[in-house]
Amino acid sequence: MKVLDIAWKDLIRSFRSLFFLFFGLAVPLLMSGLFYLAFGGISSDDEGFDLSVTEVQVVNLDEEGFGGQLLVGILQDESLADLLHVTAVDDAASARAAVDRQEAGVAVIIPSDFTAAVTDPQGQAAVEVYCDPTLTLGPGIVAGIVRQVVDGFAGSQIAVGVASERLGAAGVTVDATTEMGIAMRYAAWASGQHGENSLQVRAPASAPETSAAVRIIGPIMAAMMVMYVFYTAAASCLSLLEEQEKGTLPRLFTTPITRAEVLGGQFISAFVLLVFQIAVLLGVSAAVFGIQWGAPLPVALVTLGMIVCAIGLGILITALLKNTRQTGVIYGGVLTVAGMLGMIRVFTGNVAGASGHVFDVVSLFVPHGWAVRGWLALQQGAGVSEVLPTVAVMLTVGVAFFTFGVVRMTRRLA
Amino acid sequence: MRILDLAFKDLRQLVRDWKAAAFLVVMPIVFTLTFGFAFGGFGGEADPRLPVGFADQDGGALSRSLLEMLDQSETIHPIVLEAADADRVDEQVREGELAAAVIVPAGYGDSLLAGEPVGLTVIADEGSTGGVAARSEIQAAASRLAGAVQAARLGAQTFEERVGFADEAARQSFVDAAVAEALAAWADPPLAVQVRQSGAVAEEASAYGVGGFAHTSPSMMVQFAIAGLTGAGEILVLERKSRALQRLLTTAISRLEIAVGHYLAMVMMILTQLVILIAFGQLALRLDYLREPLAVLLIMVTMALWVAALGLLIGLISRSQEHVIIMSLALMFVLSGMGGAWVPLEYTGRAFQTIGHLLPTAWAMDGLENIVIRGLGLESALLPVGVMLAYAVGLFALALWRFRKVG
Amino acid sequence: MREEGAICVQNLHKRFGDVLAVQGISFDVQRGEIFSLLGPNGAGKSTTISILSCLLTPTQGDALVMGHSVVREPRKVREEIGVVPQEIALYEDLSARENLDFWGRMYGLRGAALKQRVAEVLEIIGLTDRQKGRVGKFSGGMKRRLNIGIALLHRPQVIIMDEPTVGIDPQTRRNILDSVKELNRNGTTTLYTTHYMEEAQELSDHIAIMDHGKIIASGTHEELVRIVGEMDRLDLVLSGDVERVLGEWQGIAGVCQATAADGKLTLLVDDSNLVLPRLFESANRLGVRITSVEIQEPNLEAVFLHLTGRALRD
Repeated sequence: MKVLDIAWKDLIRSFRSLFFLFFGLAVPLLMSGLFYLAFGGISSDDEGFDLSVTEVQVVNLDEEGFGGQLLVGILQDESLADLLHVTAVDDAASARAAVDRQEAGVAVIIPSDFTAAVTDPQGQAAVEVYCDPTLTLGPGIVAGIVRQVVDGFAGSQIAVGVASERLGAAGVTVDATTEMGIAMRYAAWASGQHGENSLQVRAPASAPETSAAVRIIGPIMAAMMVMYVFYTAAASCLSLLEEQEKGTLPRLFTTPITRAEVLGGQFISAFVLLVFQIAVLLGVSAAVFGIQWGAPLPVALVTLGMIVCAIGLGILITALLKNTRQTGVIYGGVLTVAGMLGMIRVFTGNVAGASGHVFDVVSLFVPHGWAVRGWLALQQGAGVSEVLPTVAVMLTVGVAFFTFGVVRMTRRLA
Repeated sequence: MRILDLAFKDLRQLVRDWKAAAFLVVMPIVFTLTFGFAFGGFGGEADPRLPVGFADQDGGALSRSLLEMLDQSETIHPIVLEAADADRVDEQVREGELAAAVIVPAGYGDSLLAGEPVGLTVIADEGSTGGVAARSEIQAAASRLAGAVQAARLGAQTFEERVGFADEAARQSFVDAAVAEALAAWADPPLAVQVRQSGAVAEEASAYGVGGFAHTSPSMMVQFAIAGLTGAGEILVLERKSRALQRLLTTAISRLEIAVGHYLAMVMMILTQLVILIAFGQLALRLDYLREPLAVLLIMVTMALWVAALGLLIGLISRSQEHVIIMSLALMFVLSGMGGAWVPLEYTGRAFQTIGHLLPTAWAMDGLENIVIRGLGLESALLPVGVMLAYAVGLFALALWRFRKVG
Repeated sequence: MREEGAICVQNLHKRFGDVLAVQGISFDVQRGEIFSLLGPNGAGKSTTISILSCLLTPTQGDALVMGHSVVREPRKVREEIGVVPQEIALYEDLSARENLDFWGRMYGLRGAALKQRVAEVLEIIGLTDRQKGRVGKFSGGMKRRLNIGIALLHRPQVIIMDEPTVGIDPQTRRNILDSVKELNRNGTTTLYTTHYMEEAQELSDHIAIMDHGKIIASGTHEELVRIVGEMDRLDLVLSGDVERVLGEWQGIAGVCQATAADGKLTLLVDDSNLVLPRLFESANRLGVRITSVEIQEPNLEAVFLHLTGRALRD
């Protein structure tokens, strides 16, 4: 019974603590909410990123030519108004300078001989896309559009060239009219390309049907929850140090109670607190952000694994620290670093060029990484058998930390 | 003089806790390297391009040509999937092992040659930049391949009209040769798009991003400068709790001098941290911070000024060590997250970009990136420096106002 | 060991590394009496208390508290004692009532009995009106009262108080001393440590004087004072070289002991009426002026000075 009394006392103190209310509940929800707001421009019809408008300056040095005019016309088309704001400028140097000064994200410079190159079977030209190096998506979109147009012209030229070559090899002369005909037939085919030979893009199967917003926020919320659950567990366990310094722990030992009862009460209180915290975070994030956490049983298993792991780490840290002056290093240092390593995949997984597999492995060097892994699997619809290995690792690590921590604490408190 | 005495006393206390001091320097270096690697820093990977699965259910010459075209991309590199892998391809994309996967259906080549509509199946997460980039590359390659086949068909059509084929075999032979020629032409198309980037790291950049450390070095500097406020804030709290502040107020030092003394210690601590990290970036990561030394110095100083003012305020508002930790870490996360230190603001919506730029962290990032990524000069640092200085003044004034009520 | 006493300490030793904090002390505390351990800081009082409270185990020796060994039956000992630590040990984020409730449960009280006892203790310590207030907002005196109240919850046979009046205002101190006497009237045995001679003198039935881990004298107040016999204690303030005068005065007839500290000379003399003129004459000869003389009758301070050559508050 005394174990429960101690647990109850610790719970009351935790719920009255600014630390738990702010750090345990408010901050993870706030952080995820911020990211939800950050990516809130994602369209509801789930077409992926809906960016803020990219400023584009286009320099058409091929003023009289249809090629340059076509390209400019496509860039300035109404259908792209949500993505691009295109301004025509006169000279290339000032367009590049505008990008350098961050007044524009991209400058498109159409050379003066563009149309001439298009109409000359041997002609060559290059359209320059000059971008701000800190931007990725906007320049990518602009470059993609320009390439599509340029490829259209290039394809026509190649078609004419190949036909001339092949016919020439067969002794057939290809005159300008024939070339024109080939070019026009190619152009007619190219304009109908989009509908007929398009890609059929689909999301990976077995993932629950979710919006793009949730696919981004879900992992972030999982990472935030893991980070702050481990903070809460550490804070709960570190209260033992505080009690030792304030004298309430030695006083407790003058009453008819054992060390085991004290540690047991500590464990129960931390467990209940974390269950509460996780339940609130899961519930609020599901209701507000629409995150689907998965079926109850696998969720319960991952929750259990994470709690045992977090408490084990908390007890271990408490056993190793000398006094509460060192808690700053623990929170600001050890736990923050471990948390960031554990969630590294969440922030690097979506970026082109990321070395995903390496960082999957790196994140598993810290207990946070296993917890994040478990939650991400749940969000992908994983069942009991799929999360069981991750849960087993968390339980094992947690029990090992706990055992070592308790042994050391008991020796210290003896 | 008393101000300096107080400042050095604080510094002595900070340095005495060598673990905390080491953390403030070692951790940002560790995380700069870690996240920098994640974003392709050092560039020493075997193939830094996005991996894209390629499942060839057709097995014909044209699907092989598609594979070759994808392999020539600067952004993606195809990985041929065996039949056994095909079942796992969704899982691989889902888990990020592959940025995307393309499935070439059976009969793809024949349909192309016959001029019949045929599509490729692409499995990609369009909520990820990798998925978007991969899709774009696949689209371009598929269009070029289709264009090459169409060029050959048009040539064959024209030949048929002008001369005529002896038989189907002759026609096929003509088309095959024409396709080969067209594909060869597409390898170096007569009309091309040249992507160039402005700035200091342009030569290391891929078409869709910059060298990994150029973003993570400034971002970790900004983040861990705020993290360091924990120690400094604790000194202020302990001074009040131990009643040393009350004692100090009985001596001939004014409140303003006390505030400035503590503030100076924090500024020096943060500046030291920044100097070490700038040196690390310059020497180890080959980021050219020193190409504009005055600009970088101004940015560092104003960053130290506003972060220290924030630390002073935290130390004066907090009633306990616990409060200091809560506030420092919460601010670190919020300011770093909203200011673009974690995820570049480019990926966020317009509203968020605007909100982000209400914060000094975004301006610190802008200032440093202007120098080290965009390759701009001193004038590009002036606005960020001005904004950060305004924050420093405002936060310091707030701290002074608070200090009047303390003790 | 005699078992009818409340506390029976026999040959207790406690070593911390090279430091022997308690060196073979023995004493008995009768049931219902107030027993004080008097000594300067560092004498070993708190270490002794910690052993009796079962917070430390002795290196050698044993102690019985209400017949139970602190070494072999610590849990039973803890059921019999209530400890008032020197530092205030309360949960500041809980209310006074919540603190009492929790500690009562730790002492094994439950249900209606607990509730009733909490109300009684609140009344005893005068915090009934503030029972719902957070302890963190209490004044120092209120915290001290609550600190004592917790030790009373389970009506222990023995209360151990470790310097409960250090650093507090005179009124609160008065209240605490009165509470101790009240507890004693109700039959509680109290083991009280202090370095204030007046407290030991006022409260105690028996006193043991400790220094450097040993008990150097033990008995009632009268028995201890008899050690210094009829010696008077003289405290003199001089203007001039105190050390030079000290050397001279140690040789004057009638001076049993002389020490100097903080510019003040403290002497134990046979008869102040006879010795004082000699002191004045000597001072005159040495060219030193006596600016203040205080004569005290034999007390515990004098006993300590006589036994150790040092003042109790050195």
